[in-house]
Amino acid sequence: MGIPQEAYKAMEDIVGSQYITDDQVIAQAYVGRLGHGKDTGIDLEMNVPPAVIVLPRTTKEVQGILKIAHRYKINYVPASSFWISHCAPKRPNSIVLDLKRMNDLEIDEENMCAICGPGVIFSQLQEEAIKRGMYTTTPGGGSQVSVVANHINWGLSPLNYRNGVPGRRVLGGEWVLPDGELLRIGSMSTSDDPFWGEGPGPDLRGLLRGWIGWFGAMGVVTKLAVKLLPFHDEGLKPVGISPHTTLQFPEKKRIRWYNFVMPTRESLVECMYDIGKAEIAAALTKVPQQWRYIAKAGCREDFWEGWNTNEARKSINNIHICRVMLVGYASEEQLEYEERVLMDIMDSYGAKLGRTRQSDNSWIKNADSATMWMMTGAYTSVQVTVDTVDCGVKGGEGLAREKPAFTPPLMDDYGEPGWFQVSEIGHMGYIEFLQYWDPNPNQENLYKKDEWNYIKVPTLDAEWGMFNAFNMYASPMNLTGKAYGPECRKWFEKVKAEFDPDKISNDPIPWDVDEYVDKVDWVNKEDYINRDWSKG
Amino acid sequence: MKDNYDINNYTYDMDRCIGCKGCVWVDHVYMPGVRYGVKCPSNAYKLFDGYAPMGREKIGKALLEGRIDYTPEYLDVMYMCQLCGACDAGCKRNLDLEPLSVLESLRVKAVKDGKGPMPAHKKVAQNIAEKGNRYGAAEKRSGWITKDTKISDKADMVYFPGCSASYVEKGIAQATGKILNKAGINFMTLGDKDTCCGHPVATSGMLDEAKAIARKNIDILKATGATTLVTSCAECYNTWKVIYPKMLSKNFADMGYQVIHLVEVVSKLVNEGKFTFSKPMNIRAAYHDPCRMARQGEPWVEWEGTRGQWGILTPKKEYRRGTFGVYQQPRDILNKIQGLDLVEMPRMKENAFCCGAGGGVMDAYPDFAMWAATERLTEVQSVAAEAVISACPYCKKVFNEASKANNMNIKAYDITEIILACM
Ligand SMILES: Cc1cc2nc3c(=O)[nH]c(=O)nc-3n(C[C@H](O)[C@H](O)[C@H](O)COP(=O)(O)OP(=O)(O)OC[C@H]3O[C@@H](n4cnc5c(N)ncnc54)[C@H](O)[C@@H]3O)c2cc1C
Ligand code: SF4
Ligand code: SF4
Repeated sequence: MGIPQEAYKAMEDIVGSQYITDDQVIAQAYVGRLGHGKDTGIDLEMNVPPAVIVLPRTTKEVQGILKIAHRYKINYVPASSFWISHCAPKRPNSIVLDLKRMNDLEIDEENMCAICGPGVIFSQLQEEAIKRGMYTTTPGGGSQVSVVANHINWGLSPLNYRNGVPGRRVLGGEWVLPDGELLRIGSMSTSDDPFWGEGPGPDLRGLLRGWIGWFGAMGVVTKLAVKLLPFHDEGLKPVGISPHTTLQFPEKKRIRWYNFVMPTRESLVECMYDIGKAEIAAALTKVPQQWRYIAKAGCREDFWEGWNTNEARKSINNIHICRVMLVGYASEEQLEYEERVLMDIMDSYGAKLGRTRQSDNSWIKNADSATMWMMTGAYTSVQVTVDTVDCGVKGGEGLAREKPAFTPPLMDDYGEPGWFQVSEIGHMGYIEFLQYWDPNPNQENLYKKDEWNYIKVPTLDAEWGMFNAFNMYASPMNLTGKAYGPECRKWFEKVKAEFDPDKISNDPIPWDVDEYVDKVDWVNKEDYINRDWSKG
Repeated sequence: MKDNYDINNYTYDMDRCIGCKGCVWVDHVYMPGVRYGVKCPSNAYKLFDGYAPMGREKIGKALLEGRIDYTPEYLDVMYMCQLCGACDAGCKRNLDLEPLSVLESLRVKAVKDGKGPMPAHKKVAQNIAEKGNRYGAAEKRSGWITKDTKISDKADMVYFPGCSASYVEKGIAQATGKILNKAGINFMTLGDKDTCCGHPVATSGMLDEAKAIARKNIDILKATGATTLVTSCAECYNTWKVIYPKMLSKNFADMGYQVIHLVEVVSKLVNEGKFTFSKPMNIRAAYHDPCRMARQGEPWVEWEGTRGQWGILTPKKEYRRGTFGVYQQPRDILNKIQGLDLVEMPRMKENAFCCGAGGGVMDAYPDFAMWAATERLTEVQSVAAEAVISACPYCKKVFNEASKANNMNIKAYDITEIILACM
């Protein structure tokens, strides 16, 4: 067990003995069991403790470590804030690069951007940005996630309605390729001043991430310049004692939430398009019913008292909540104008404005993704479709019809068709289909939740022609959806072969699910894995 | 009867830890930025996740499942932690888990398995067993009492000064006596039966010894006929209000006594206009929330029941989430003092960064304790304060030592001394 002593010594020389360990007690802290993917089959059966954990401070140190890993062919896993089980090694004798020491943060106020190290998390960046009248998109995944890791992999939130998807907010960066070579991308390819985003010649930012990124399978990003967007300049005031802490909105009318009860699901979708067409609002999202019950509950038992009722069951088809945030970016008058437009639109659908607290504790600076575990002790999302919002809703309703066959072990959410929202001022729809289950290993048929996650949902997506971005990293690579087809997998394979032929950067990502389902006996491989989806 | 320190009662909590690091980061609503963003002193000092609460839970689980065994590093992981409870309040902001109980119970297990506590803790426990105080001092405990302090022979309130104020920070006990006198509150002490509360023994995981101390002290208190115990020490406060009932598997409400800290007495009187300050104090100071009476100050609530599908508890459990700790009372007092410019540090109230001395760290890992105190003092400097005020003698001592060692020129006071100086 372990990595060659010379390799360890060489890394120790780079970072200093304080910042490297091969202690197997400490290694147990890095075995996975965290974040997205926790308690899934991969998390439980593939994750292993690392041989070494190293905490680099600089890009140069990362380069040094990757060169050693490359020389000795040692698998390594980059990890910034560990909110996904892809940060856990799946190969024995791996190195974990815990990047928390790389927490430099520079704000360029004039040019409205921030240069972040991977150890900087969203609430930290948001604090600095809001102080200066700007903001970033804190992802729904949580304020505690790394700005760098989230921008290069995923990056979704209702705030993207206005701010755009994260790929468009990356201006430049320093990227240590799998073999340790340094690549500077975007406008950082020519200088340290990333304000614009473009460099000369072909732009390699697309190699780093398209809709979704590499999840550590293509080296380490050590610095990222990300756009900050204009916000209002009245700030947000933190109030309360845990667990009742929140950011109070200023008295001046510069930011407001509105919760509308829409008469039907169709009207909820339609109003989103209309709001987008009117080019108003800062965030726009549907509120799934179980989240409302979580918000009202003081503890898990309270939640179940509320959820185990006919009222909750009926609410799925009867209550459709559209949550809208308006920001008077320039002035109070802007917000007042947008409010008038919003009310006109909502009136035309017969929407009712409900009571709405004028504070924020879920999207702007704090995002409580941990509460997803509150109901049952286990959670994962299986589908993140980016298309039009009606496409997303159609997919969500379809999945809701199929889910009862997997319930239990999944929690009965009464046919909730998922969480949807629009991004980019209505030009893009987004749906996320969430599941909760009881991870107690004594539950009967617990494997069925993996069948649902890894096989059933992506298969249905492929059949329905939905592009499920999750398939890029949470289901067999062959099941990437008809619209994009197997070619997507081939692109991944070709790029990986070019830059990391020895597969040392976070192997077996993004083929971990393929490897996993290949091993287990509950998958009908012929039907699901080996089918040629390009033939329909 | 449920054993609240049996790690087997917390396997669910360890297994369902999701790695969100709510236990490490300052509440995101209050997140001050990169600097001062971490509230777990242990993970700020030792950066590997093994030294973070969630890492400890995974390591503890690995031990229970036989994947690892006791090693020197394991013991460091478990004992290089102030048991400050920042993790507990952070975790319970979103989830119904008990990380602090996990950490405490892992220490108890280490002791039961013959591996813990650390040698320095054993020495402290021996001092307490032999001399009734953590220092092993031979002198009488009542040495703090001055001639002008009026102590009744019989009263409804007992002042329990604790080891530090009895032997080291005597000024705190003296100030407390005088403040109670000025407020016209009769109080007594436990006289020659006054001994250590047992806090260091309990936190090091020596459960049997700690329980014996608890039983003895409770009997002594009962014998006085007093119903209220007042402390000037956050650790004693917590021991009587939380640790004793927790060890004895009882609700605090059923213990038959009340516990209050002096700041609770004074703030009530101040807010009612019955206690006023006549002298100003011209300093700019930050208040440091002592862990054990702030986020850990809620009384122990006993729960016994079962966990069913979806992890639902029957009966419903009342969680101590740190919401109702002693936060506002000291601030109310200090805000009434003329000339005292009270400022908040970036990490405050339930997110406060521990002074470093707690959980046996000062005894077993003094360098780490000093590092944590120094880190906290940089935060005092960051708000341009010249002094830091706490309500626990251990905080005051470690802050003054750190300030001196690093030439930081920050003075640490106990709030009792400030009240005395201004009344
Ligand atoms: C309850 C819940 C809700 C979620 N909701 C959302 C959501 O609404 N929106 C959203 O965007 N995401 C969401 N996520 C998904 C996910 O957790 C986040 O996208 C998160 O950003 C990933 O983790 P991280 O930032 O902590 O990075 P890490 O966990 O550290 O890393 C993520 C991946 O990137 C790799 N990596 C890390 N750092 C680097 C680096 N510097 N260079 C190269 N590779 C690196 C890692 O190997 C890993 O594969 C959710 C997750 C959960 C658990
Ligand atoms: S806050 Fe709780 S659940 Fe989250 S990582 Fe810490 S101990 Fe685990
Ligand atoms: S008790 Fe304090 S020092 Fe110990 S793990 Fe929790 S936050 Fe860290």
